[in-house]
Amino acid sequence: MWRLTLANTVAHRSRLALTWLAVALGVAFVAGSLVLTDTSSRLLDQQFRTSAAGVDLTVRTGAAFDSAMGVEVQRDPVPADVADRVADAPGVGQVRRVASGAGQLQVRGQVVAPKGPTLLSSWGEAPFTAYSLRSGRAPRHDEVVLDAATARAQHLSLGDTVTVSATGSRRLRVVGLAGIGDADGLPNSAVVLVDLPTAQALLGLGSGLSSVEVVGADGVSVPDLRSRLATSLGARYAVTSGQDAAAASADAAKESITYLRVVLLALAAAGLVVGAFLIANTFGIVLAQRSRELALLRAAGATGRQVFASVFGEALLVGLAGSLSGTALGVGAAYGLRGLAQGAGLALPDGPLTVTAQTLAISVGAGTLVTLLASLAPARRAATVAPVEAMRASDPAPHAPGRLRLVSGWVLLALAAAGLVAAALLRTVAGVGVGAALLMTALVVLGPVVAPRLAQAVGRPLDRAGVPGQLARASAVRNPRRTAATVTALALGLALISFVTVLGSSAKAITAGGTEAVTADLLVQSSRDEMLGGLSPEVARRVAALPEVEAVSAVRFGHWLDKGTTSALTAVDPATLPRVATVTMTGGRLSALDRGGVVVAEKVARERGLRVGDTLAMTFPRDGEQHLPVVGVMSETTAQALSTSYVLSRATYAAHYTEDVDATVYVALARGVDEARARSALSAAVADFPNAEIRDQAEAAAARAAAVEQVLGLVTVLLGFAVLIALLGITNTLALSIVERTREIGLLRAVGMTRRQLRWMVRAEAVLVAAVAVVVGVVLGLGLAAATLAGLSSGTEVVLNVPVGQLAAVVVVAVVAGLAAGLLPARRAARLDVLTAVTTQ
Amino acid sequence: MTTPTTTTTTPTTTTPTPLTAPRPDETPAPTPAAARAVDVVKTYGRGEAAVRALDSASVTIPSGRFTAVMGPSGSGKSTLVHALAGLDHIDSGRILLGNTDLTTLSERERTLLRRERLGFVFQAFNLVPALTAAENIALPLTLAGRRPDPAWRAELVDMLGLGGRLEHRPAQLSGGQQQRVAIGRALVARPDLVFADEPTGNLDSRSGAAVLAFLRDATRSLGQTIVMVTHDPVAAAYADQVVFLSDGRVVDELAAPTAESVLARMARLDAPEGA
Repeated sequence: MWRLTLANTVAHRSRLALTWLAVALGVAFVAGSLVLTDTSSRLLDQQFRTSAAGVDLTVRTGAAFDSAMGVEVQRDPVPADVADRVADAPGVGQVRRVASGAGQLQVRGQVVAPKGPTLLSSWGEAPFTAYSLRSGRAPRHDEVVLDAATARAQHLSLGDTVTVSATGSRRLRVVGLAGIGDADGLPNSAVVLVDLPTAQALLGLGSGLSSVEVVGADGVSVPDLRSRLATSLGARYAVTSGQDAAAASADAAKESITYLRVVLLALAAAGLVVGAFLIANTFGIVLAQRSRELALLRAAGATGRQVFASVFGEALLVGLAGSLSGTALGVGAAYGLRGLAQGAGLALPDGPLTVTAQTLAISVGAGTLVTLLASLAPARRAATVAPVEAMRASDPAPHAPGRLRLVSGWVLLALAAAGLVAAALLRTVAGVGVGAALLMTALVVLGPVVAPRLAQAVGRPLDRAGVPGQLARASAVRNPRRTAATVTALALGLALISFVTVLGSSAKAITAGGTEAVTADLLVQSSRDEMLGGLSPEVARRVAALPEVEAVSAVRFGHWLDKGTTSALTAVDPATLPRVATVTMTGGRLSALDRGGVVVAEKVARERGLRVGDTLAMTFPRDGEQHLPVVGVMSETTAQALSTSYVLSRATYAAHYTEDVDATVYVALARGVDEARARSALSAAVADFPNAEIRDQAEAAAARAAAVEQVLGLVTVLLGFAVLIALLGITNTLALSIVERTREIGLLRAVGMTRRQLRWMVRAEAVLVAAVAVVVGVVLGLGLAAATLAGLSSGTEVVLNVPVGQLAAVVVVAVVAGLAAGLLPARRAARLDVLTAVTTQ
Repeated sequence: MTTPTTTTTTPTTTTPTPLTAPRPDETPAPTPAAARAVDVVKTYGRGEAAVRALDSASVTIPSGRFTAVMGPSGSGKSTLVHALAGLDHIDSGRILLGNTDLTTLSERERTLLRRERLGFVFQAFNLVPALTAAENIALPLTLAGRRPDPAWRAELVDMLGLGGRLEHRPAQLSGGQQQRVAIGRALVARPDLVFADEPTGNLDSRSGAAVLAFLRDATRSLGQTIVMVTHDPVAAAYADQVVFLSDGRVVDELAAPTAESVLARMARLDAPEGA
């Protein structure tokens, strides 16, 4: 039997080719996602490990948590005397006083903007760092060493002058070019190395240090030294092993990769599910065509179990072949995915790819498993072919959908609809998820009932196009199960795309809007759009000094832990904020923030049952858990304008955070000042801060929307992949049904259907199937998006924003793609020799 | 979406003729031939495996007659009829339909010619399953973007005894009914020539007899030219004349055949092989 399976697979290889391709594409996506994220993680690990290669221990100020949302928390500087105490401690060999942080590099007036960070650090040599001079010498006062890769890219040579800025800003002369280990630089980063006093000045550390790195004296046990140092320095300072500190930094950088991995794998799963429909369909059709042969096997004495095993074996072969080639393809796909993700604004390091055994196992396993599962139903059907079918002259008509299917399908649909409406009304997103899952199941069950009817309705205009149109419609309706599977696969992909499009467009509307409360004329923000913002506080001071400006208020962001969950807050100046924004309080007063305490949004107050006078436990990075009094409740529009639901005063913020960067400086202009003139005055005032960008409200909204748009673009492109697989399904189903209809096509040709009419007929069927899928997919996507938005919006009204233009584009692209999917089968049909076709058995 | 160009047709030389009158020959030539094959050679395969299916076969199909083509298996009878119908290419020789030389036509011209001037009845799988009986009958006309003449269609349906079955799909019809629908389709465009390839091959003897009687009546009362391939002497006896093929050549003709006389000729054809 196994030999028969093998022979069958080989014999039907052309019919199984597209199945193989579908499996391969789906698996390539899975493998590509895994390879990409593994690679990125490994590269980041390496990057941080090499930079801390020879360090035994790192002494820093303690923090309640290391990082949040992929951003490492900033710690208080280590005072110089603490560094001295460390250096004098017994067992300590060498120490390095480190000042490091994020900086900016300007060359010839232009900001150098790598995909990742620009690392500003004090110079250090082995054994502490992996930096090594390639040319020139170590930096002294007002001098700088750059990584060789950046210098090369910027056409810089020794003796050139560059501007380096962080909290402060200085012009420095390039005196050396460094490599990092064997590499000329760090992936996606620029490295700027200066002497310690310059670094301290630029980073605003005074005489403090970011950290003290320690190499133990010969023969001293590092764990012993660590506990001795920790004891002598006290709880305020954290002593970690150099590798742990590097790992923590790497983990922060890897956080965004974890999100990316989840998103990519979810999209890959969508591709595989769509592929599963295609696989099930192909096996169904191929087996229907072979039903006489299978019946013959049964008549010759094969048991149903043997037939099942034989079919299942074929699926195993195709699944394995597809998975293996897909995995190989995936390694290449990883490069493409990296390009796409980087294009969408994600900072992923470049470097050689990592392929782990785990990746190989998951990819091959997932592809094979999906193929086997998808072939289960066709194999079971094949096993039930009765031996008498062998004697039957004509192929049996496809079964009408059973009563069970009808009843269970409609029940599921009703449940799904009820669930979605209830979830939307009760505003629970989890309920929407359950409803969506029910809806998808209902779609699969009801497909064979609904798809043909929809095809009848949608295909009505085809009748006017004469017999070819009429026949196209009829054959789309003829085999309900087959049409349903093809339609469902494509509809699923299109539903996801329209869901994401609608959701994204609504999200864009939300991020772009919500600023009605802001009355400022101009905003200054960082052009790099860092998560916490990146403006030096000096920017606000300089802008405030301008005569064109009437009022300035700067806000900054921080992360805190809300019972272990990362949350965000905004720090404002209660005195100046009302002059640049309309602040609406529903309880308490904004000015009460001056006494320390927190203002929460209306929705939060309601959900947590907080009232003015209650206390809220908040964990800050600098000083851990603190109990802040709730001093006010603000309206949702105010919360939206300030981007978070928790607001502190800047003074309170300074007590709990070491970070000292502003996110937005709101500027109200003096009466009668022309905006263009004000802009140029502002530009001149912040010229020393290359990342300070002056925006009006529309520009600021556009900048926020752009971020959403990029991610949306990435997701849409990747979903397009699932749609591509679904389109392969149309091609495949049509091609196979043409094989099945050879005699009918021969007859039509004999009685005078021209090749052109025939091609038209096949293409019309493809377009019809695509059109039905478009209808189902877009309606589903819209419905789910509406339910999700309703579920998400508690308190505030979240407006469903239907991007008609984009959806229309999706519809047009899908239908045109359907036409393209029909091209090959149409050509094949038209090429059939009339005589062979009509006399074929 | 494009619309098919069903309205463009090649000009044909047919002119409408009275239903019941024998169709006058469309050409001024004195021979009342509907179709002719002249020295047709057709070879399948190559080299050692080459089979000469038609070996300079020549035959004339007289207009307004019911001609049966017979011969042992492999004699080339199907190949000859396929060649006459423009369904198959030939290696050399000429195929004339009226005054039109099929061998000079392009694929598209031959398709349009089939649609306009020829009718077909096959042994099995004769109808498009997705269309009703009425739609199947009208198929050649609708493909050309025309509508059947209602009076003519009504007469056909009446003669074929298909009244009340017109809205049924092929799967709902018996084999005999299906074959009668196929005949209706073959006749609806009033073709110059109808080809029937073993039309009773899949039918029981009673249904087969009805189909054959109908084909004969179509010739007698409508003057329809019909060519039928068969290996059944009883079926051949319904024809006005029988053409016998052997080894790719026309070897004999028989006018006013009966089952017995056909059987006798067949026996003679088979004899040299058996000896």
